[in-house]
Amino acid sequence: MNIDLEWRNFDVLVIGSGGAGTNAAETAAKAGASVLLVAKDPLSASDTKISEGIATVRASGSEDDTEEVLSENLKIAGSDLPVEEITSAFAKDSQTAYDKYRENGLRPEISSITKGPNSLPLPMGGHTRRRSVGHKNSGLAFGHANWNAIVKENKIEYLEDCWVIDLVTSEYDDNRRTVEGAIIYDAQKGKLLAICAPSVVMAAGGLSTLYFPKTDTMRGNTGDSYAIAARAGAELVDMEQTQFLPFCLTSPPSFEGLLGGEPVTASYLGVLRDKNKKVILDGVYLRTRAECSAAIMKAVEDGRGTPNGGAYLDMRANKRAPKSGTYFMKFLKNSLPSAYNNVRQAMNKKEAQCDELWEVRPSAHYMMGGIRVDANGKSIADKNSNNGVQGLYAAGQAMGGLFGANRLGSTSLTEGAVFGSRAGLAAALYSRNFNNKKINKDLFFKEAYKLDDLLGQKGTKHASQLKIQVQKECWNNLGPIRDKKRLKKTQKFISRCRKDLKKIQIRKNLLWNQSLIEYLELVNMIDTAELMTYAALERDGSVGGHVRADCKDISIFSKPYSTIVKVRKSHIEVSKIDRKRTELKKLVEFKFKEQKRFLEAKLLRLLPMRLKDAIIEKRYKKIMGSKEQAPPLEPGSIEAAVGDQRVS
Amino acid sequence: MNRRPQHSSAYLEVTIIAHKEGQDLPTKFKYKKRNEREKPMALDVLLQAQENQLPDLAFRYGCRARNCGVCTIDINGKPRIACRAVVRDGDELKAMSTLPAITDLVVRRDQISRQLKGKIYEGGRKNDLNVEASEDYHELTSCIECYACLDNCPMHEKNFSETEKDPDYFQWGNPFSLLKLQTIASDPISTVARKEAAVTEALNLGLETCVSCPGCKCGVGIDLKGKVIKPLLQTSKLVD
Repeated sequence: MNIDLEWRNFDVLVIGSGGAGTNAAETAAKAGASVLLVAKDPLSASDTKISEGIATVRASGSEDDTEEVLSENLKIAGSDLPVEEITSAFAKDSQTAYDKYRENGLRPEISSITKGPNSLPLPMGGHTRRRSVGHKNSGLAFGHANWNAIVKENKIEYLEDCWVIDLVTSEYDDNRRTVEGAIIYDAQKGKLLAICAPSVVMAAGGLSTLYFPKTDTMRGNTGDSYAIAARAGAELVDMEQTQFLPFCLTSPPSFEGLLGGEPVTASYLGVLRDKNKKVILDGVYLRTRAECSAAIMKAVEDGRGTPNGGAYLDMRANKRAPKSGTYFMKFLKNSLPSAYNNVRQAMNKKEAQCDELWEVRPSAHYMMGGIRVDANGKSIADKNSNNGVQGLYAAGQAMGGLFGANRLGSTSLTEGAVFGSRAGLAAALYSRNFNNKKINKDLFFKEAYKLDDLLGQKGTKHASQLKIQVQKECWNNLGPIRDKKRLKKTQKFISRCRKDLKKIQIRKNLLWNQSLIEYLELVNMIDTAELMTYAALERDGSVGGHVRADCKDISIFSKPYSTIVKVRKSHIEVSKIDRKRTELKKLVEFKFKEQKRFLEAKLLRLLPMRLKDAIIEKRYKKIMGSKEQAPPLEPGSIEAAVGDQRVS
Repeated sequence: MNRRPQHSSAYLEVTIIAHKEGQDLPTKFKYKKRNEREKPMALDVLLQAQENQLPDLAFRYGCRARNCGVCTIDINGKPRIACRAVVRDGDELKAMSTLPAITDLVVRRDQISRQLKGKIYEGGRKNDLNVEASEDYHELTSCIECYACLDNCPMHEKNFSETEKDPDYFQWGNPFSLLKLQTIASDPISTVARKEAAVTEALNLGLETCVSCPGCKCGVGIDLKGKVIKPLLQTSKLVD
């Protein structure tokens, strides 16, 4: 072997420095474990830092917000795909997890009534209670708290600019594996690290970078969490559940994919039009994201797309209404301030004032599935929860089982904190069984040798350029509209891509070798995309973020199930696992309410302007209260797309 | 009279200066505008250069929306956040000059956070978390950590004098570190002891340099002089 390995021992290795990774590292260190936290990006630069900064805190708005109420709320919103044990854990810990952020410097507004964190004035759409707490400076306030948590003490060691190449595992009977540590590429120092650690917390975020366009999520979301865990033998759950946001910007190029609006901000009179200005979807504010995205993509495929491959969002009728028009503009600006800011910078004045049409297109945002875990973030498999990868834990966007087919608003920050802490503690406790464990160095060398072959590999292809092809392929065939033919196409594309891996030119140097970094991320993107195609083929119907053009919608009355994918030897295995359905009574109630809403919306549009204007004005006044402030929405949250909620 | 080179409006020519093993290697790059009216950002130019001409070009970026703070580079010698810095014909794009370059446009950033490692000590907190912070406190947490404030900072420059050169540790402070310390000093939940420790740490990092300095400039518009430096100087009694 030509490369020197730097050997280090830790009890717990945490991968990722966002909300989940930080909470895991802090909790594990508090439990007495020696902790190493590694991340590709600078400390705390993560999706948490760039989020809208709204967190779910149970009972922050009303006392009757019990754990049962919140847990059930999550489960129903996710079309019964979420695991009850996990939603209960979320409900149980949301307050303590939030307080940990406050201990590290997060300062919310304090309510004069409850004397605790002030929740937004209205329950966020899909939520059955008021329980979402907003913050000044949005996610940045959380970013600073995460930074403080890691820097304040000497207990946690951290390394930036580190790419995890693979986990090192040992195999025991029937494919069951145990974590031994990881091989890590430290680009900053130009070193290869052999980190011996009996437990690893995977908190490396999502996969939005598999696609272009994508929203303003971090570049580093190359599916690392899923690919690395799957290669180590872990099962993944609900990997077909990708969230696409429909109303993202198409131009100028620097803004492509960034968020412009959500279905609900199209408001009462917003419609979607094709390039010929013909209406392709009305009642937009009541539609699901998937419906809006599908309508846009269908027009594009039929050759009726706009110049930059999207559709027109027409909100002029809202603006023109003499009385309610001014309320509409306030509503639009206040509810999604950062999205509106994108619009103001990217579009001309008339467009930003909604006097002209907005050109919009869908963009990739969030992964709701992920590594299959129990309520403590422990990797599980089969029916026996002890059959997962021993010593592997996951938290945040990396894990699955909490959101199922849809994500309630303001929950992702809380998810990171709750399961980061739980996984960190579980990992620390587990690592206590391995004092003075003998290290099998050969296992590490075996992983590291792979790099020996890669460095200096000659070829004509470049990983950075292949990544762009993967993004195109995933967009076209694993994107907002899918069918069997397209998914099979993606699988063929991936096998071609794997052959191309051997033709990629990789430099020999170790100090910040960008060609190696691009290669490692490309492999993770391909591996993740392939696993997703298997899950997407297995789910032969549309539900939540997964839209199959060649199948029917999955009825909410049918038996819910989750998809499971895993890598075994040289092939991928896919299966289904049953989930518990919500009571029939509640489902019928939902269907009834949905139909009622559509009918009401239709009647409203048909009314004469004066009458319509007066009714809409009244509604805005009700939403925005006496201060005429619209409640903020979180991009991707369920209240931003009323149609996505199952039971309100 | 010198005439600027003429370009068709479909292109824009910039120089990308890549750092390679201690050397600065300039490459001319012709950016192809994606439409005639396009005013590309520096990040667009770097991404297109990577796609068409320099496949292994190394640079940092994250959110494309001026939030994550990692894509800062120097444009014509001044720090700019690449995802929101409009590029003009003839511009020079280079790694930030205030931090050690690793490869191409990537600089090493972690010495900045390590400077306070273990020094924002715990245990100096009151128990009641239900206290509101001041507007000034919130202004400080709007920092995106782009490190544009290191530019022209006489305190930070001392780290690079011949006697102090240590790539792993910066003895002397910078506006960002002071901002973090002032955040602790203005946190309503900090105890008196914790506030004092923060100010002492600011002095250790070389706060006296700020007395004679005209002031620093923030990349996202935080009033560093008024909200960070001034209160620290006053609390530490370096000025009245």
